[in-house]
Amino acid sequence: MLPPKPPVDGRGVSVRTKGLRHTYRTREGELTVLRGLTFDIGPGGYLALTGASGAGKSTLLSLIGGLEPIQEGSAEVGGRSIASLRHDDLAAYRRETIGFVFQHYGLVPVLSALENVELASTLSGVDRAERRIKAHRLLDSVGLTDRAGHRPAALSGGERQRVAIARAMANDPRLLLADEPTGNLDDASTGQVLGLLESLRARHGCTLIVVTHDRSVAARADGLLHLDDGQVAA
Amino acid sequence: MRWSDALRLSFESATRRIGRTALTALAVTLASALLVALATIVVTANSRVINQVSKGGPITAIRVAAARAQPGQLETDDFRLGRPLRLDDLFVGRIGDLGGVNAIAPVLDLDVLAVPPQMPGGPRRIFERMVGVDLRHPEHLPVTVLAGRLPAAGLSNETAVTLGYLDRMGLDASRPEQAIGHRVALAHAQVVRSLSGELDYRGRWVAAEVVGVVAQEAAPGMFLVPIEQTHADRAWALGGIGDGDRQPLPNSPYSGLIVVADSLGDVRSVREAIDDLGYSTSAPEQLIANVQRYLRVVDIVLGSIGLIALVIAALGITNAMLAQVRERRREIGVLKAIGARDRDVQRVFLLEAGFIGGVGGIAGTALGIATAALVGSFVNRYLTDQGLAGVELSVPISIVVAGIGGATALALVAGTVPARRAAHLPAREAVGGT
Repeated sequence: MLPPKPPVDGRGVSVRTKGLRHTYRTREGELTVLRGLTFDIGPGGYLALTGASGAGKSTLLSLIGGLEPIQEGSAEVGGRSIASLRHDDLAAYRRETIGFVFQHYGLVPVLSALENVELASTLSGVDRAERRIKAHRLLDSVGLTDRAGHRPAALSGGERQRVAIARAMANDPRLLLADEPTGNLDDASTGQVLGLLESLRARHGCTLIVVTHDRSVAARADGLLHLDDGQVAA
Repeated sequence: MRWSDALRLSFESATRRIGRTALTALAVTLASALLVALATIVVTANSRVINQVSKGGPITAIRVAAARAQPGQLETDDFRLGRPLRLDDLFVGRIGDLGGVNAIAPVLDLDVLAVPPQMPGGPRRIFERMVGVDLRHPEHLPVTVLAGRLPAAGLSNETAVTLGYLDRMGLDASRPEQAIGHRVALAHAQVVRSLSGELDYRGRWVAAEVVGVVAQEAAPGMFLVPIEQTHADRAWALGGIGDGDRQPLPNSPYSGLIVVADSLGDVRSVREAIDDLGYSTSAPEQLIANVQRYLRVVDIVLGSIGLIALVIAALGITNAMLAQVRERRREIGVLKAIGARDRDVQRVFLLEAGFIGGVGGIAGTALGIATAALVGSFVNRYLTDQGLAGVELSVPISIVVAGIGGATALALVAGTVPARRAAHLPAREAVGGT
């Protein structure tokens, strides 16, 4: 169990799982990727999730982030059980509590950088003028003010990931989940992106969980959870 | 997500693969164009055919003869004439009091001796009938102007002629305007007994200019004139003694009436009421009913063809949208990961389908109307060549609304399955892998 870290400004949430077990049904049969996973991270904590491919890192992130239903065990975020959430409540949970950053950036190709950042607030029904001001501010915070009108295809990998981070921050998340955020980036961009995630965490006080294969990335976290075959490695 | 934001996002998505969207919209455009063109042609043709069946006049017109009706009159569209019966203003007043009567147009036709301009091979004189009608209200008459215009009401120096006149004069019927400007001397006879005791025919001559060529079914006759002229000729004839069956005295002030009913549904009841008054009538009600039945079949067949095209286009939309969903699984997952609800995703895809349908519907409706106009111009050229009046393209607003609204609605229906599929994609698609 990881020691809880005090929140910077109280926005971060604790994450607690107990006996998480998850199985996928494939054509070849059942594939169990999590086998009774239990861990705990305090509000405002910074955790690195490592492990080999197929160890269950992304699945764990999906379960915590409410991207798929919990089959067995429990997961609580901010003291709230995710398993009890359904449909719109789950969407609201993702919208209001979670900020996702993906390895593939997940930007909408037909929207500009500014519009991509706006998208998260759009889904929350925020007024257009208000969300535009906020999107500009967020792009400024990731150093991309001058790229606001560019579409993802016109941006470098590092820039795309910074836009994705700005989008993840649009709804002031209490838990930031980053799935291999530097997996497609060169060293310089990796440093930039990690620095950005950490500074945003420090500024907003959110809890940060980063899935990574990179030991140097994992070393920057306050805690490390290494998964091996769906379990916490000894 | 607000509707306006969903609309904007769907528009952006639709323009993502502009080629595919354009092709899908083109299919909708062509299908809508086909449907609108067929509908426009059908509506125009229907009115033309019904108009033709009703001899160019109002389709609710009933012709009344100055004769008693024979038994079984109402079972046929044609006259069943009995012995002559006086038709006067008193009777006109009684018909006017009947329910369901919209207008009454009196007709007085008489024998006429016409002297046309001398032309090579043309006749020196023509014995024909002259039809006097109330030209103050030509809209109530079964008269179609083929060239020129109708004579002015009240004037006795103008006449219109039928295609029969062109035939007698050896003129080309496909160029009816050739007859316009002819000066024709018209005379109705008065029969008097001479001092020697023999019957003597005296004519009341009028010089008239041909101002128009018409197709008319008010009464048999080659010359169409204002009724005031035939009234004057009747008064002239009544000054004489007549000549038995050869030249009977026109005792009835009118030789017939054209009674216009309020609607097709009123034709039967008005006809029955006139029959009760003893007069013979004719109306193409059975013919119109039959024609309408056949036209309905044509409507259904052509409508079905257009609808099938639209359904095929709708399937194209479904296919294109399903491809979009397949290609955008991860993007849809990301949308859900950042908080989109199932219905937000469904709304974006539905609006995208509706957008394609709407664009296709607007373009298709415009193209359909243009196509119908083009077909109409070809038909008009043919009709004119045949010496018939052209058709006027009729585009009811309902066709425009149905063209655009129908394509949009069908596209929305077509987009339902892809939109539901997109909405039900798991949010986990955003991550992929394990």
